Amino acid sequence: MIENSFNRRDFLKVLGWGGATVALSGCGNTSVEDGREFVTSYVQTADYIIPSIGTYFNSTCAQCDAGCGIMGRVREGRVLKLEGNPKSPTSVGKMCGLGQAGVQAHYNPDRIREPLLRNGDKGEAITWEKALALINEKIGGVKAENIAFLTGGVSGHVKVLLKNYLDALGSGHHYVYEAVAPSIMRAANKKAYGVEMPRLRLDKAKVILSFGADFLGAWVSPVHFSQQYARFRKADNGKRGVLVQVESKMTLTGANADRWLAIRPGTEGILALGLINALSTAGLSVSGDVVAVVKEYTTDRVSKDTGVSAEHIAKLAALLKERSPSLIIAGSAAEGYAHGSQNAAAIALLNQVLGNVGKTVEGSSGIPFPQMAPTTGNRQALQALNDNMAQDKVKVLFSYGSNPVFTAPASMKLKENLKKVPFKVAFAHYMDETAVEADLVLPLNSALEDWGTVMPEYVADGAQLSIRQPLMEKLHPGTLGMGDILLALLKQRRPNEYKGYEDFYSYLRNAMVSNKGALGGADADDNTFWDAALSHGMVKLAGSPVNISSHVSVNGLVVPAPFAEDSAYPLHLIPAVSASLRDGRNANEPWLQESPDPLTTIVWDSWVEMHPKTAAKLGIVEGDIVEVASKSGAIKAQVYVFTGIHPDVISVPLGYGHEAMGRYAKGVGVNAFKILDPIFDKETGELAMHETRVKVSKAGQRVIIVKDEGPAGGQQMGRKIAVRMSSDKVNLSKEV
Amino acid sequence: MYCFLRLSVLLVGLIVSVSSYAANAVQPLTTADDLGPKVEQPIEFPHDRHAGDAAKGGMQINCMYCHTYARRSIVAGIPPLQKCIGCHQNIESVRETPRIKKLFEYWEAKKAVPWKKVHDLPDFVRFNHERHIQRFVFAQNKPVQEACGYCHGDVKTMTVARRQKPLSMGWCVSCHQKDHPVDATSTKTTHGPNDCWQCHK
Ligand code: SF4
Repeated sequence: MIENSFNRRDFLKVLGWGGATVALSGCGNTSVEDGREFVTSYVQTADYIIPSIGTYFNSTCAQCDAGCGIMGRVREGRVLKLEGNPKSPTSVGKMCGLGQAGVQAHYNPDRIREPLLRNGDKGEAITWEKALALINEKIGGVKAENIAFLTGGVSGHVKVLLKNYLDALGSGHHYVYEAVAPSIMRAANKKAYGVEMPRLRLDKAKVILSFGADFLGAWVSPVHFSQQYARFRKADNGKRGVLVQVESKMTLTGANADRWLAIRPGTEGILALGLINALSTAGLSVSGDVVAVVKEYTTDRVSKDTGVSAEHIAKLAALLKERSPSLIIAGSAAEGYAHGSQNAAAIALLNQVLGNVGKTVEGSSGIPFPQMAPTTGNRQALQALNDNMAQDKVKVLFSYGSNPVFTAPASMKLKENLKKVPFKVAFAHYMDETAVEADLVLPLNSALEDWGTVMPEYVADGAQLSIRQPLMEKLHPGTLGMGDILLALLKQRRPNEYKGYEDFYSYLRNAMVSNKGALGGADADDNTFWDAALSHGMVKLAGSPVNISSHVSVNGLVVPAPFAEDSAYPLHLIPAVSASLRDGRNANEPWLQESPDPLTTIVWDSWVEMHPKTAAKLGIVEGDIVEVASKSGAIKAQVYVFTGIHPDVISVPLGYGHEAMGRYAKGVGVNAFKILDPIFDKETGELAMHETRVKVSKAGQRVIIVKDEGPAGGQQMGRKIAVRMSSDKVNLSKEV
Repeated sequence: MYCFLRLSVLLVGLIVSVSSYAANAVQPLTTADDLGPKVEQPIEFPHDRHAGDAAKGGMQINCMYCHTYARRSIVAGIPPLQKCIGCHQNIESVRETPRIKKLFEYWEAKKAVPWKKVHDLPDFVRFNHERHIQRFVFAQNKPVQEACGYCHGDVKTMTVARRQKPLSMGWCVSCHQKDHPVDATSTKTTHGPNDCWQCHK
């Protein structure tokens, strides 16, 4: 009764009076803490530390593998906010939203605080001495070949120590696994240009044609590419570069493109060859063997196969011919198929024909210390480990920096195989899905309280060693850095070699200072060199440039015909890599869950993106809960109807659906990794992420989607906001 | 019935507010009640000995020698322990007194002294030391002890500090309404800012 009659207005009136009492008591100094609150001062401090004024220290972001240079604002011994390091060639003073959330990785309430040893279903806190002794004991009891180390991408001095530890054990089993990595592109680049990761000069290109590379959102080094992109859009000569994005599901980059072309999934290679044919017909000089291969890709046929209209193909070819140099990028959308390598090769061939290699695709820099060079990973490594575990060949498994129980497709049965390993050690920040399976969990320092060096795979300019240094004291006394743990483990094996190093810091400092000549500090004394390195957050390395070659051979370049229709599983599933969640390792940072997806504006949940035509055919409206079933499994999620997707495709973002990890990640959304079919790229053996075919059926419920977006043509403060316009109303013919 | 309920709720609200207002309204601006609570500190720091007049056995040390942040930051800060030790390691005469022994115990253990806060403002008030010190001490050439004393009272006569002023909004405003000369030589006057957002950011 009270709910009905006691309306909001009355409530506010009462609150007004009540509020007045609260405010008045405020004047009576009831909220001050004279004589109760502590005001703790420093014991010793540097002159430049002034209470309430921030001091900035440089370090390296650990939120994704791009390894941007960052600086952290530190006040009263607490890190408050991260910014880009202006001196870093990768980030040039900027950083992305994912990187910003790094403080939430550090202050996260779900971090593990002490070593945990399995006791039945529970983890029992033990001391580090006991944990390290236990590892020593377990390793002593098995043969070296039965010890395996699984990591994500590693580089720098931690990688050196890891290698030394494995050498000391006599085990060569270091498996490197990255769930979302451009592995197929690396292989294709190596073949086409002789380097895995050529420098892409977006800023030099006049036209960029990107086949599903989300370089502004989540691809390789997005902060760096965003800055190049700004120069591409506002070139010094005043000519604005034109971006055409071809993909089956719109990415953030696609949303920024001048022309977004929805392509039938898997036919990217056909379009690339069709463009070569159209260019050669238009008079671009193309070598005879290439013409012989591409001549059958007439515009009509390509248009029919790809779903891209003949008019657009002709315009695109004319644009590419007229404006040189251009840059063609093969992204994850093109490589995610069983013929991903062929797609990538066809796209590389287009770059070659257009003469872009050497102009907008440049060689990278050689790395003077190959032992610190980044080890990149792939799924095949995980498969090898999985097979070994299934055959009981792994007795002790260490896992660091990857979460395969979450990211491996269900068809791998990784969790079951993991149970066969008698002793599993996880180095972890959270009790994630893999740590939950472990027998011993060792808690790591956060990236903002740890020492280390990083050599990113994609470096903007020359070669460099980025430094990660603590921005504040450890929050939890019971955590340790990976370097410290490896050093302690090495002391067990090679005491004479390592006993001189008290901790990883002293090892790192010594290793760098004793090599200062090669690290650009030949003339400086030790302290000056070291202080300068820390203050810059990196050291430049003198790397010899690696020349790029261009020899895409057309021999054996066959791009298969488009997929046949499959009546049982009529739709393609695109597992989307979002700028915030990526492979899900940061899902327990609430800012990332809370920041709306840039295209759909959805927060705190998974969704199924679907074209309005497809939705109409299935009788689905926004908010319907649907079941998405592949041959390997099924998930349920809410539908978001969206025109930025090909009608044959649905898309579900990755990174959601954790079953463990922490309060913000657990139970939010569904895990799309699980239903990916085991289909692999034929050349590299990588998981073809976009190959999974699915069927969609209504599950009966309907929900209101929680999102920021208002109704189309909505108003805010009496003004129209974000006016929608359908893409056929946009006239880009002047540009394209 | 509904009306009755609504009315009674409103009335209760009203009575509570009025009584609370009444309790607060009678407070005059400056009385002995302005004194803050007596605060027990881990070390009974003698401000009088350090800053007091020489005639009374004080060392006449400038406030800003120890509270060095006041002119550079919104908070005055408590000096780092190293500052105390910096002098006291050379003052043999008091080295064995109980307070200094305690001080060195903290120093040797590298532990911060857990001082208690004497002057606290509600969290919605932002008071800026730097602005006041720059204006009074550096622009108007007022003696430091006088400038600090506007809010902190005559600290040089105290041992541990105790709040001397109400530090309430009305008290702040009463001063901000007064005209002061812009600087030491000028005849132009101005008064402190009276915009809400100067303190309530
Ligand atoms: S791109 Fe990656 S490394 Fe760079 S700021 Fe963003 S999360 Fe950090």
